[in-house]
Amino acid sequence: MYPWIWRHLPGPLPVRILEAVVLVAGVVALLMFVVFPWAEPKLPFNNVTTPQ
Amino acid sequence: MDPPTEVIAPVDDYDDEYEDYDDEYYEDDDYYDDEDEQPAPPPDSTARKTVRTIGELLITAGLVILLFVVYEVYVTDLISAGKQDDATQALDDQWSSNTVATDPQREVKYDLLDGQAFAKMYIPVFGPDYKFSVVEGTTDKDLEIGPGHYKGTALPGEPGNFSVAGHRVGKGAPFNDLDLLNSCDAIVVETQTQWFVYRVLPMAGEAAGWAEKQANPKCAKVSPLGAPYDKTVGQEIVLPTQGEVISQVPHFTGEVPAAQQAALMTLTTCHPRFSDRQRLIVHAVLTMSYPKAPDFVPEEMKES
Repeated sequence: MYPWIWRHLPGPLPVRILEAVVLVAGVVALLMFVVFPWAEPKLPFNNVTTPQ
Repeated sequence: MDPPTEVIAPVDDYDDEYEDYDDEYYEDDDYYDDEDEQPAPPPDSTARKTVRTIGELLITAGLVILLFVVYEVYVTDLISAGKQDDATQALDDQWSSNTVATDPQREVKYDLLDGQAFAKMYIPVFGPDYKFSVVEGTTDKDLEIGPGHYKGTALPGEPGNFSVAGHRVGKGAPFNDLDLLNSCDAIVVETQTQWFVYRVLPMAGEAAGWAEKQANPKCAKVSPLGAPYDKTVGQEIVLPTQGEVISQVPHFTGEVPAAQQAALMTLTTCHPRFSDRQRLIVHAVLTMSYPKAPDFVPEEMKES
């Protein structure tokens, strides 16, 4: 998977490194701001209330 | 004299053998060097590719889970800190613009809107920087902003049970150290017009020797509450289903007239940390209230 992505990045080595960093940052941002906030309420480990 | 000679002879033999072994070793090394220069192309079969991809996916999954822990413990703190600041700012604006407080004839009315702050709470033993604006409601969205008031429970200073839930992990973790509260520790609540000082009730095992404890000035106005409050202690750990801890009189099912109700404050959070198997509950009782005045800060705020 990773070697395949690396082979398909265009440009010379420094450009490829930059592209890889941007890709990783994009995935991290997607996880942090979209996936985790969506998934978190579905996980049961931070319920702090009792029923009224 | 013969035996020593016999002993020396085998040692010489061993040295020879060792040198022979060395030679062989170098020959082997040369052999491997040749192979490195001309590596056989690895058979890139489908099986090989599949195994490699599965390995990469597993490593990726591990990294994502680590990242989630970072998100839960640190990033949600940052997000909640921003929301808490906004709520506090809105509350300060409201308090400074609303002049009801200046007219003693008018009764205090709280503007209770979901997710909006209506009071501030301080726990002086947790340090002077421990302050949170308490919002109305206990949904996930409300609790992201700060500690949330269970709708319908008493309001600060009222008889009944002023109940507040807060996160213990992430999202500002206002109730992270709730288990460290001791009996008689102050929980100060500030509203638009008043300061209320609640103090943690005696713990389960402390009621017997309470007379000695009361020598401590912090405990002067705290004592085990009699019936129907006999099950209401400073700290308890209950099942998530035990909603009776925030009822008007905790653990008591009958009706108690408002005039006979103590003014309690109850804090709830998850327990153990990182789990929702149980709930950690702290009960406190109102011991003091002061009207707000410019530059006046209750002395209880300086306790540590």
